[in-house]
Amino acid sequence: MKKLLQLSIIILPISFFLIFFILLTEENQFPGADYREFDLPVFELKILNNDVSIANSDLEGDYVMNVWASWCITCRIEHPYLASLAKNGIPIIGINYKDEKIDALEWLSKYGNPYQLIVQDYKGTLALDMGVTGAPETFLVNKGKIVAHYEGEINDYVWNQVFDPIIQERGMFK
Amino acid sequence: MIVEVSHFLSIISTGLFFLVGCFSLTIKNNSYVTSLISRTYSHAFLFLFISFLIYVWLAATDNFSVQYIYNHSNSDLPVFYKISSIWSAHEGSMFLWIFFLSVWGFVFNIAIKNNQILKPKTIGIISLILVGFLLFLLITSNPFTTILPIAPLNGADINPVLQDPALAIHPPTLYLGYVGFVIPFACSIAFLINGDPDVKWEKLVRKWSVSAWVFLTVGITLGSWWAYYELGWGGYWFWDPVENVALMPWLAATALLHSLNVSIKSSHLRTWTILLSITVFSLSLFGAFIVRSGIIDSVHSFANDPQRGLYLLAFISVIVLSSLCLFISRFSIIKNLSNIKIFSKESFISINNIFFGTLTFSIMLGVVYPLIYEYLFDQKISVGAPFYNAIFIPIVILASLFLFFSIDSKWSRNIGLKIFTKPIGLSLLLSVSVTTIIFFYFEVSKIFILLSVFTGLLVIFRYLIEIWFSLFYKKYLNPFSAIAHLALGLLLVSISLNSLLSTERALNIKINEFENYKDLKIYFNDLRVNKGSNYDAIRAEFYIEDKKGNGFNLSPEKRRYFTRGQITTETAIHVTPIKDVYLTIGDQLDDGSWIVNIQINFLIRWIWFSAFLMAFAGIILISSRRRT
Repeated sequence: MKKLLQLSIIILPISFFLIFFILLTEENQFPGADYREFDLPVFELKILNNDVSIANSDLEGDYVMNVWASWCITCRIEHPYLASLAKNGIPIIGINYKDEKIDALEWLSKYGNPYQLIVQDYKGTLALDMGVTGAPETFLVNKGKIVAHYEGEINDYVWNQVFDPIIQERGMFK
Repeated sequence: MIVEVSHFLSIISTGLFFLVGCFSLTIKNNSYVTSLISRTYSHAFLFLFISFLIYVWLAATDNFSVQYIYNHSNSDLPVFYKISSIWSAHEGSMFLWIFFLSVWGFVFNIAIKNNQILKPKTIGIISLILVGFLLFLLITSNPFTTILPIAPLNGADINPVLQDPALAIHPPTLYLGYVGFVIPFACSIAFLINGDPDVKWEKLVRKWSVSAWVFLTVGITLGSWWAYYELGWGGYWFWDPVENVALMPWLAATALLHSLNVSIKSSHLRTWTILLSITVFSLSLFGAFIVRSGIIDSVHSFANDPQRGLYLLAFISVIVLSSLCLFISRFSIIKNLSNIKIFSKESFISINNIFFGTLTFSIMLGVVYPLIYEYLFDQKISVGAPFYNAIFIPIVILASLFLFFSIDSKWSRNIGLKIFTKPIGLSLLLSVSVTTIIFFYFEVSKIFILLSVFTGLLVIFRYLIEIWFSLFYKKYLNPFSAIAHLALGLLLVSISLNSLLSTERALNIKINEFENYKDLKIYFNDLRVNKGSNYDAIRAEFYIEDKKGNGFNLSPEKRRYFTRGQITTETAIHVTPIKDVYLTIGDQLDDGSWIVNIQINFLIRWIWFSAFLMAFAGIILISSRRRT
């Protein structure tokens, strides 16, 4: 029994170290990335700031679509990175997902607004058509087609590894 | 050029630290070897010190040929923030961390005489740890990388949220606390290697541990205070992973301080004490790993580089596992054969160790469990306040009750502990009556809040009575213990009442109109555009009046920083001893009104006051002349 107790002193940290080792080496494989190509779903939704309706046909060119919500902690974490993308001239369309308008506006006022425009998807219909399972998720749209999709927080590393190769290949954002 | 000198000096010091480590652990010690080790350590420290000073000077004088300084500083910044930009990101923070580690070693080196048998090995272990971290710094996260041949004219600025005095001093204080526990750790390892159970290492490290604990306490409190007024969320603790990894070593260290006491007084609990000193330092290292590897998303998320994480993980596991193996192999020599007397102070403190161990372990689970879950089921979950509250509240209440009854207990003696004495009765009576008043006045429906207020009051009244006895009847009282535990009671009461009474609300107000909230009238008087040194600001002017007609002005701001385009909210807070009125301003709505978030936070100042009081108790102990 005493031996067991002594052993557990060693085994406990070893198991923690193992877990961290697995997690650290796992991270490179991007389980959240998805490169299947499909058309941007047909939708007609209201814009967050002025309640004007907008349809998928109104959106032109290349852009990034980012699913976010004021209740989503990870969105708050990736927010500064979106701001830096926007600053570098990448247009970002926000999909405000299952949110309350007043919360969303307050959230934007607190943390800044990197989005070119934001659509209200409060029933989650557009998100459902796009295959969204939660927030945040980010889509790369090339001439009306979704060409890459990432579940989870976007940062410099993810952007360079997951999105940048496709952007280069297709010559987007020029 | 100068940056290369700094780089070179840190490489030399790495080599010297390595020599010190090898010498002290391989050569049989005599007075000559000891003084050699001591002097070589001092020289190595001198090199690292100069290297760090040069780096500070480079940052202060805007040397943007250094990549790191270019990325995180800017010539528009005040000098104070130019220097604090060193610890605003990964490489510089790591450099500071290592520098502080070497400072602790140096102070220990000059404060402890060479005839102390554990000194050479302690210095050697500190040196080897330094070597590991210096290699990590130089290989994976080099702060000395330069931009050549042409240096940029201006820097890219630091994160505006970090441009704040509390934040500039919060990380250094916290790091001083973290790395300070290298002293008890290294001493306990030296003691285990030495293998002589008669050496009293516990006495040697007591004040060092208390000093590190004071820094950690102050560091955590400053962080909490900063988050309150800067982030604009209005709370004092968010159970954020980075806060948790600071709280874990704090809890373990608090247990260590108690346990050290027992080991010094009666050489009981020595295994506990050694295990705790290993645990505290391991948790500090674990904290560095969690923060630096970017394995966890948090508001503090720093550079994300798996390579760094793997190096840190490997190095930390070597330290932790080798010290635990050593601990187990020497278990027989430190084991105390006599049993602890039931109802003695020792027994209470060993129970306290178990409570604190449980708390630490449950935070560890809270940090690690979401990671495992995400790995296995590919779903993000978050373990938040409900989990921690469910564990912390009952354990803290129980621990405080034990504390309450332990005050009369004696060292190594079973006798003399009565369950009911006059002081106990008096403090029970006072606490019950105050709790009853609170219960009826505020119509409290949550039983746990009431219970924690009650136990907090018990502790406060019990110690006040003790202080009374000591002042007027010259009864012996340990001032450190009394003040620290008074602070604990105060902390319990203020946290409970804060969570019970505080409220918040988002209001829509137009300029020149007013809204009512609770018994306050909020007038929105004016909106101005201001210019700061590196930002634009919208400043809203409010006048707030209570029912009695007493009023005050509050002016929250929204700032847009030029270099990064980042927008921050500046809170406006009206402080009174009882409550804070906390105002932030949001966006303008289509009808021209503004979103104004108002919070009334009760007793929040008392939470930080209690924490500082605890740290103050530690300072009393450090500065006291008495040996114990």
